Amino acid sequence: MLFLLRRLGFYLAAFFVAITLNFFIPRLMPGDPATRILLSLRGKLNASQIEAVREAYGFKGNLWEQYTGYLWKLAHLDFGISTVNFPEPTANLLYYAAGWTLFLVGVATALSFGIGIVMGIYSAWHRGGFFDTFFTPINVMMNAFTPAVVALLLWYGFTMQWPLFPLGRAHDMNLTPGWNWETVASISWHAVLPVASIVLVNFGAWHLGMRNTMINLLNEDFVMLARAKGLSDSRIRYRYVARNAILPQITSLALSIGYVFGGAFITEVVFNYPGLGKFTLNAIQTRDYSFIQAQLVLLTAAVLVANLASDVFNVLLDPRLRTGARA
Amino acid sequence: MTVVLPAPVSTPATPEAHHLAPAPAELMRELGIRSRPGILSRLPSWLRVFVRNKKGLFGLIILCVFVVTAALAPLIVPYDPYRRAGKPHMQPSIEHLLGTSRQGKDIFSQLLEGGRTSLTVGLVAGLSATLIGLGIGISAGYFGGRTDEVLTFVVNVSLVLPALPLIIVFASFIEEASPTIIGLVLAFTGWGWSARTIRTQTLALKNREFVVAAELMGERKWRIIIMELLPNMSSFVVGGFVLATIYGILAEAGLEFIGLGSPSSVTWGTMLYWAMRAQALQTGAWFEVWPPAVAIMITGAALVLINFAVDEITSPELRAGRHIRRVAGFLKRRGRTIDVG
Repeated sequence: MLFLLRRLGFYLAAFFVAITLNFFIPRLMPGDPATRILLSLRGKLNASQIEAVREAYGFKGNLWEQYTGYLWKLAHLDFGISTVNFPEPTANLLYYAAGWTLFLVGVATALSFGIGIVMGIYSAWHRGGFFDTFFTPINVMMNAFTPAVVALLLWYGFTMQWPLFPLGRAHDMNLTPGWNWETVASISWHAVLPVASIVLVNFGAWHLGMRNTMINLLNEDFVMLARAKGLSDSRIRYRYVARNAILPQITSLALSIGYVFGGAFITEVVFNYPGLGKFTLNAIQTRDYSFIQAQLVLLTAAVLVANLASDVFNVLLDPRLRTGARA
Repeated sequence: MTVVLPAPVSTPATPEAHHLAPAPAELMRELGIRSRPGILSRLPSWLRVFVRNKKGLFGLIILCVFVVTAALAPLIVPYDPYRRAGKPHMQPSIEHLLGTSRQGKDIFSQLLEGGRTSLTVGLVAGLSATLIGLGIGISAGYFGGRTDEVLTFVVNVSLVLPALPLIIVFASFIEEASPTIIGLVLAFTGWGWSARTIRTQTLALKNREFVVAAELMGERKWRIIIMELLPNMSSFVVGGFVLATIYGILAEAGLEFIGLGSPSSVTWGTMLYWAMRAQALQTGAWFEVWPPAVAIMITGAALVLINFAVDEITSPELRAGRHIRRVAGFLKRRGRTIDVG
């Protein structure tokens, strides 16, 4: 319990560092966002309107007043108003994009994890065999093929060369989303390529992680004991070795679930998918600072919660941590 | 675990052939061990380990070829990569080996020049990240106490804070980030993992006899760090460097691909960016997309192979897998089984 409390304290501190960075980075850059907006509207505003714009974007008063104002707004989940989709509050856009990203990257992460773990178990058990010597390096190399290349080639191959899948977007344009079969089919059909592009790049890391942890465990005494007791191969493989080897993988899984909220920038750009990555990029290109900041807060919060979840999970799964002896 | 066989009570006067222990040469043939060529034994030991590892050697050769061509790029490019050299989207020909881009720039020249920038940024970002991580990791591990607490907190914060969005935000506030700035930002956000590994490794080493002996002899702290600790974690440092370089090259390409880099610079990432902007694939200009894509893929693959080799050198049980079938067969023919596998 003490262990978890200490971790919680650390995450709160880290969150504080993050939102403080988030506050200062735009202010360290030459020309604050409000001034840039004013410049683009030059001559159309009078003095009091200029003051109003500065206030709306939290650039009024001295630095300390700005900072406390920023924290106050943040505590009320008030992310300001989007400059591009003007009257729309940033929070609404953020939640809309987060929904699509959660679906896209969530499904992709689950698939990569599943495929990678199964392959990792297999190649660790038959280490040195054909599958292991051939597919382990290849799968990890896919990881280094960068999402840009993989997504671009998939997109070209399966929408242009062999037009099997739609060019982009999350569903058909002339479809009103609703809970019916048509919607589900359209959404899944549109998600095939984007999901594939993420899975292809990511599953190799899970494969390698699971394989290496499992190979290290195979040399442990308890495995030999299990063998000496005459337990069946599959029992040793799954109940003894894989079960222990999956602990660190679950920690990483929790972390990547947090990173889901980072969005898949490249995939979403290539497939024109309305997720967080694409929205953030739009925000960057149109200098919509409130969205960028809101996205960063959301992501940091998600990653920290995921970290905390993985700590709780580890305490539940690993009795050694429950004594609080090791941090 | 060694099996101690009972010593033979009496040695027969004329032993039959199959009772003799097999000659070393036969054993080596059966286990597939080849003796080392003479040149190898003259190499320094760390390089020898690398050269004997097929994956590592292969990756190293590919990487060297890329680095050398990149370094020589200014001498061998046929055209100025920053200027128009022909009509837009010319097919590959003798004149333009890989054709021309939408803007009429020679793609072969751009590929070489882009490799120069991309590899430099990746390697420099990787190196800086490793050095920062090394400095912080060793200091935290060796000095301990309050220093450790503060540094570990910083390391943990940098690990927990999502790096890529941070980079993107950085890059967005600095308009048109040049490759140098992207490299710096990558180094600044990418050192967390190596700092953590190095700290753990330092903690494991600092109570070993040779370090304690050096301390008792009154060695200065920086000398202990450089002469005693550092050489004993070189494989971790190299491993961290390779990983940071992969991350650097890929992240740079990714950032520039989505248009956060400076579009006027020539790198593999910006080449892909322009190819996508020019809808090269839709208009049949495959030669504008494939060269940078394949170059990134090959570089990534080579670095991954090197990383595999470093992993196998760091933890030999991963390497054991490669020979385990031969050993298993060897034991099986003698009526034994290997304990695991």
